[in-house]
Order: sequence, then C-alpha cells, then structure tokens
Amino acid sequence: MAELSLTSIRKTFGDATAVETLDLSIANGEFLTLLGPSGCGKTTILRMIAGIAMPDAGEIRIGGRRVDGLPPEGRNVGLVFQSYALFPHMTVAANVGFGLKMRKVPRREAEDRIAAALDLVDLGRFAARYPRELSGGQQQRVALARALVTEPDLLLLDEPLSNLDAKLRDQLREDLRRLQERLRVTTLYVTHDQSEAMALSDRILVMRAGRIVEEGAPEALYRRPRTRFAAEFLGQTNVVRLIRRDGMAMLPWGEAMPDAQSDSAYVSIRPEDIALRPDPHGPGRITACTFLGPTVEYRVELAERSLRVRQTGSGTVLLTEGTGVALSLLVTPHPLAEGMA
Amino acid sequence: MSQSAEGVQIAKAGPRHGLVAADGRWITMGLGVATLLTLGLPLIVTALWSLMNPASGWFAPDILPPSLARAHWREALSDRTIPGAFLTSLLIGVCVTVLTAVLALPPAYALAKLPFRAKRAVELFVLAPLIVPGIIVAVGIGSLFFRLGLVYTIPGVILVQTIGTLPFMIRILAATIEGVPDDILHAARSLGAGPLQVARHILVPVAGPGFLAGGLLTFISSFEEFEKTFIIGAPFVQTLPVILWTYLGGRVIVFPTAAVVTFLLLAPMLLIFFLAERVLRDDVLAAGMGKV
Amino acid sequence: MTRLSVPMTAAILLLPGAGYLALLFGLPLVLAVLASFGVLTRGYDGGPTLAFYAELFGTRAYVDGLVFSTYLALVPTAVSLMISVPLAVLLAQSFPGRRLFTALNKVPLVVPGIVAAFIVMTLFDRGGTAARVLAPLGLDLPKLVRDDWAIGAVMATVWKTVPFMTLIVGGAMASINRDVVLAARTLGAGPVATFWQIQIPLALPGITAATLLSFIGGMGAFAVPNLLGPVYPLPLSVHMYVNAFERANWGLVAAMGTTLSAISCVVLLAYYRVTRGLRAAGGAR
Ligand SMILES: Nc1ncnc2c1ncn2[C@@H]1O[C@H](COP(=O)(O)OP(=O)(O)O)[C@@H](O)[C@H]1O
Ligand SMILES: [Mg+2]
Repeated sequence: MAELSLTSIRKTFGDATAVETLDLSIANGEFLTLLGPSGCGKTTILRMIAGIAMPDAGEIRIGGRRVDGLPPEGRNVGLVFQSYALFPHMTVAANVGFGLKMRKVPRREAEDRIAAALDLVDLGRFAARYPRELSGGQQQRVALARALVTEPDLLLLDEPLSNLDAKLRDQLREDLRRLQERLRVTTLYVTHDQSEAMALSDRILVMRAGRIVEEGAPEALYRRPRTRFAAEFLGQTNVVRLIRRDGMAMLPWGEAMPDAQSDSAYVSIRPEDIALRPDPHGPGRITACTFLGPTVEYRVELAERSLRVRQTGSGTVLLTEGTGVALSLLVTPHPLAEGMA
Repeated sequence: MSQSAEGVQIAKAGPRHGLVAADGRWITMGLGVATLLTLGLPLIVTALWSLMNPASGWFAPDILPPSLARAHWREALSDRTIPGAFLTSLLIGVCVTVLTAVLALPPAYALAKLPFRAKRAVELFVLAPLIVPGIIVAVGIGSLFFRLGLVYTIPGVILVQTIGTLPFMIRILAATIEGVPDDILHAARSLGAGPLQVARHILVPVAGPGFLAGGLLTFISSFEEFEKTFIIGAPFVQTLPVILWTYLGGRVIVFPTAAVVTFLLLAPMLLIFFLAERVLRDDVLAAGMGKV
Repeated sequence: MTRLSVPMTAAILLLPGAGYLALLFGLPLVLAVLASFGVLTRGYDGGPTLAFYAELFGTRAYVDGLVFSTYLALVPTAVSLMISVPLAVLLAQSFPGRRLFTALNKVPLVVPGIVAAFIVMTLFDRGGTAARVLAPLGLDLPKLVRDDWAIGAVMATVWKTVPFMTLIVGGAMASINRDVVLAARTLGAGPVATFWQIQIPLALPGITAATLLSFIGGMGAFAVPNLLGPVYPLPLSVHMYVNAFERANWGLVAAMGTTLSAISCVVLLAYYRVTRGLRAAGGAR
C-alpha cells in the first residue's frame, strides 16, 4: 500500500492526444475514481501506471519510488482489466496463484494465500474450475482476487463492473466497497458510470478529452459542481442563465436568486431541487410527465426554455400535461464557473 | 486496424517491453539478410541458369556465367511441350478451383451454422485427406480410375487434385461463415429471401474474403501439385511440375531448361501472390490450417 | 415451401463435399486396407493373408525405407519448428518493413516442392554455386545432395515448411487476447516467463497443428527425397511407386500405404491428446 502521484503525464497516439499534461495524486489507502465518458483517456492512464503503456512525458511515483522507467513486473500494482483477461488455460486457483508463482512464494504459503484470496471474493468452491466455466460476475471476482493476492502497493480497476447486468453490478459494487474498506489498499477506479463513482469513492476526478475537469468528494461534486460538464455528467441538471435586472439576479421564472452576491451568469439546478405548485397563472406549464415509481419526472415549459423537474414521495399528486405551475427553489443553487460551453 | 494501432503503442513502449530486446532496425537488417540468402539468391541463380549461353557454358570455377543468352528461353517457348504444359496447368487449376468451391460451400455452411450430432466426426472425416499422404491417395484411387478410364486424362487429374484441395477449402469457408452473424442471415430470411437468395446476396458477399483466399489457395495448390498428378496423369497429362520432374529426375539433368520451367511455374504464383497479398490474409489462412 | 428438419438439411448440405470424399478418398482407402490383407487385391487371388506385411517387414530395404520416411518426417519438422516459433515472434514485433517481410516470408508457400529441390541442387550440389563461392576461400563443402543424411532433402523441405509453420504459429499467437499477455506482466512475469507460461501454451493448438501437418507431409514425401535424397535407403513412398508401376505388386503397395497411414493416424491421436486439455480450457480457437 502506498500513495501514487503522476506529474505532468502526457500521452499521444500519432496525432491524437489521449492524455493531456496531467497531474494526479492519491493518498495512501484512498479510493479515487476517474470518471468520464468513453474515450476520454481513462484506460490509457491506468495502463501507463501499470507499465503496459509508456507516457510520452512526465513522472509516475508509487510510494515515493519513481516507476515510469520500470517494466510492469517491477511495479507491484494489481490491475483488473475491463475484459478481466483471465488466463484461459489455467484453473481459477492457478490464475490467482500466478502472481505468487512469479514472485517465487513457497508452495505451502502460496496455497494458503490463494485460498484466502478466493474466500475474500467468496469463490472458494470454484478453485478447480476453468474461467470459461464461470459466470461474468464470478470471472470478475477471480480477476479481483488475482490482482489482490500479491498484496500490491496499488490496485487499479478498469470499469470492472461494466460487463455485468444491473442487479449484479449493484451487489458487486457494495462488495467492492466493503473489501476496500477492509483492506485499505490504495485504489484507482475507472468508470463512466456516475452512480458507481459516487457510491464507491472517497474522491472523484471528472475527466473530459484527456484532461481533468474537476475534482472533489462525491457529495460536494454533485451538489456544488463548478463546471457545467461535471454538473451534467454527474446526473441530470438544469443549467440556467441568470437574468440581471436592477442589480438582482433573477431565475427564468422570475424568482430572485436568494444569494445574489455571485456575479456568475449560470447556475446548475438539479431537477429535485425545484418545487412545483399547480397554478393556472404560474409562469410554467407541464408538457410531459413520466411516472418512474419512486419519482415523477416533469418537463416544464417556461417562456424561453424548458426545465426538468423531479418530485418524490407518494404524497404528491400527479400533474397532467397542460397544467399551469408555479416554481420555487428548495435550496440555493450553486454558481458555475463562467465561460464553460 | 486496431492491431496496427497496438503496434504503434508497442513501438513507443520500446525495447524493455518487447520480447526481443532489439531495436526495430536490427530486426529489419537481420530479416533482410536472411531473405536475401534464402529467397533472393536462389532466384538470381535460377535466373542466371535460365539465361546461360549454351555456346560458352557455365562450368565449375565460375561463380557467374561467362556470357548470357536467351537461347534456352527461345528454345523452351518454341517447343510445344512447355507452353502446352503451362496451358494444361492453368486449365486444371481453374477447373479444380471451381469444382472445389462448388463442392465445399454447402458442407462448410452446414459445419459452421447447423447443429447436428455427428459434427465432430464429419469434421474429422473432411480433414482426413490431409492426414493421409498424397501418394497413398493417388495410388489407392489409381485402380478405381483405371477401371473408369480416368487415368491419364485431364478429368482424372482434376478429380484427384480436388481430393487434396477440398479439406482446406471447407475449413476456410466454414471458419469465414462462422464469422457471419446469424442475425443478419435471419434478418434476410425475414425480409423474404429464400435460402439460395440468402447464400447469393448475403453469405457469399459477406464471407467474400474467405472465398477469395480459399479460391486462390486452391488454385495455387493445384498449380504446384505434383505427386497425385504424376501418378494419375503422367506421362500423358503434362503439367509444369511434371515437366520439371522429367528435366530433373532423368539421367541427364538439364539445368537451363529446368530453370526456364521454374520461372514459368513461379511467375503466375508470384503474380497471384503479390496481387492477392491483401486477400491472402494471415488470419484467414491460419483459420483454414491452424486447427486440425 | 415445406421446411426440412435441421438434421435433414445438414445431411443434404454435407452431401456434395463429404460424398465426394467418401467416394474418391474413403472408398479407395478402405479398398487399399483390404487389399493389404489379400482381400480383393489386384493380381492376387489367394484369399486373406498377412504375406504382404511379412514381405514389407521382412525386407531390409523396405524396413530401412520406413525408418527413412520417419526420419524425413521428423527432422525437417523439428528444424522448421525451431526456426518458425522464434520467427513468428520476431515478425510480431514492430520494425520497419514488417509488412514486406511478412509477405516475403509467405513466398515459399506458393513455390512447388520440385522447384525447391531444383534450387537446392543449383546451390548445394557438387560444383553448385555455394561450392564455387567457397572454393577460393579454401573451404570444401561436404556432400549435401544425394548424401547419406539427406541434408539436401531436409533443406528443401525446411525451406517450404518454415513459412507455413510461421504463418500458423503467428496466427495462433496473434489471436491471443493482448490483455491476457499484459495481465501476466502486471502480475510480475517478465517477458520470458510470459512467453513460456502464457503465449506458448495458448498458441499450442496452432503449433501442434502445424507440426502435425508438416510431419505427415514428410511421411509421404516423394519428389523431394527422390531428387535430393541418397540412393539407399529410399523412402517408403518411392518403394510404393516402384512396386505399383514397375512391379505391379499391388498387395505390397497397399501394405505400405496402410502402414504409412497408420503412422500418421497414431501421430494424429497423439496430437489430440496433447491439445485436448487446451481445447477444454477454451485456449484453442
Ligand atoms: N493503442 C491505441 N492506439 C491509438 N489510439 C488509442 C490507443 N488506445 C487508445 N487510443 C485513443 O486514445 C483515446 C483514449 O482512449 P482510452 O484511454 O481507451 O479511453 P477510455 O478508457 O476513457 O474509454 C481514445 O480516443 C482512443 O481512441
Ligand atoms: Mg476504457
């Protein structure tokens, strides 16, 4: 277990820049997530840390030791591939034991550690099976056990849940979180799924086109994003332009911003932070209503734009299309840094 | 595409990460020298033999012939047997390719797409001609053909060569057809195409590269086939390899004429080969041969 | 149109190819096996017998021929294997001109075996190019054509076999999931350990298939050893030819053919034993 730092890391493929000059650090035992859309360079970063891709420039340190010149086998990191990359010609036990064999761990000790690792992921019964005889979720857990059994300084996970169906994903997400809390291994997790990122992480880095756009703890990032990209990537939101009138900042439906000292032109308002009240003379009108069970989603048409609004709780009455509504804020919205397209 | 992209990445990764701890240029140089010795040199020496001047000869201490002439080329090409053999080889090659393709397509489809019980056994049986040396096939079939009046005839040679080309063709086609998703075949059926129309409009075009590669491979192996042709056809059916054999296997070895025949044999092969280099993709060929 | 059942459709589709092979390959083979035991043998009507096998295994020249055929199967295969596997690895690296060399490597695939034999003659026979080049240096080339160890025949066969093996082995290696290889590296395996523990086992089906096909080709080799091999022993295939077309001893020919086929089958069974585990593991394609 150790901290990780990347300094001025850069990677291009031909003319295409996969990772723009980038700094990143993870504290010992921290669970950090790289969150971003597909193709933004997440896998490339993991591969450079693991030593199976070479950065064009920059420095990588694990536990203070510079590793960017070392081959992968000299770095002591555990990497779980998106495709799991299990060895098809080896049993589950042999897969998990491979790293120990390479480290010349004595047989008896290796057997104990393999058994312990398989118990950790609850696969003790499957030791003698071949990977193709396992389900996707089980294969994923073998990959995890294989990466953990060597007690790596750093655990790297590349979208480990993305090939699983939704139910299994939720369960494995919880298992993963518990495991990490128990082992406290420094972990860098990569995903494009914002709910995974929020559920698992101590801290999230939001990436876009090879750059880090914003970072923060899950709650702060969700509730007080600074950038439009992060606001929109972490769940749904309404990015709203403030109208300045008489030194007051007004929301599109005419309500004054409660905390008008901000001089930002845009705010992000989450759909669940707007309250609706039926009012035939109100500024809004319902144009779509989608009942989702726990929540109801509305599209509300204002004079110049439409907004998403979400209501929860079984107590609310469904508002039908065409109903006029008045809107009000439930919390103070957070201003966005300006200039973000 | 993705493979070449991967290649770029490995190149950047540098010597530490490749298995061969060498600079790319060293590999190029090593392979260049090896290719020159094993491919370039033989071709040059063969060319020199075919251009040897019969007046001055080319004897022992001379590394290069003292003078060159086109005499052997002229003689070989004016003599009817060699151009005739070339045409015979060509005709047989084309017939074998067509016959092989027609016979191979239906079973390849069945092996690739239909579930039936004895599949493994059929696969093995179809491959069996590869497991039995060609000379045994030819000698075994000889007596049968003798009774049918097929020995020493071009149809007999075509039939016996097809035994050897069918297994590869079935394998290559089956591997290619396996790669065509069932869904697009089903989609065509649901859009109103009958089985033959699906084969014509969907299967053949989509599996095109495999067909081309299999066809070219069949033609090449027919063109260069010697043993079965020799036993069933010689001395009346004379293909280029059979002629070459008579120049090399007799009491007097006629190097210059043999060299001319060698070039006549090689020219179409190399032509096809370089024209079709893209078609004869490694993965298609390996799919046909890489699993028994 | 009425719909046929799947097994019925399969049978109809299999008919052209499989029927052709059954008629022109299976039937003659069965007849040859029968003929080797004196059943329906051309030019023999003495009833079932083992006499032909007795003749085959009782004649020194034929036994030596069988051993020599096996030699011609084993040695070129082994030599080609030792060249092809490293060559396949080399061609998988990235270096300038990779495409060109990959293409050039395949050229001998389309060169007839007799041409290969001719090339070996021009280069390595007494007074051939190699001898002429080495003579001024005071070096004398050993006898390489028609020599006792059939070096010339081995060279010609290796020249033809290496590209074929390299192609198959290279294909098998290229089809290994790259992430699997990289996973081994992140788990602490160096390049050499990764090669032996991951790449070779996963490419084994391809390697063994190439080995098998090369071995069987060698067992039946006729033209190349006939042109380049020693005067004694002759490979069994040549004895077959002589007994068929010069002596019309069809029972003996059938016994020889059956024996050569039987050896190929034994090798094939060994092949299935070796690769079974891998097929089961899904390592095979
Ligand atoms: N080996 C490669 N060769 C060329 N381009 C690559 C390679 N690997 C990744 N890229 C490119 O780099 C960018 C980042 O890719 P990647 O790191 O895989 O993204 P992510 O994992 O976030 O989806 C993409 O635009 C991708 O096309
Ligand atoms: Mg990725």
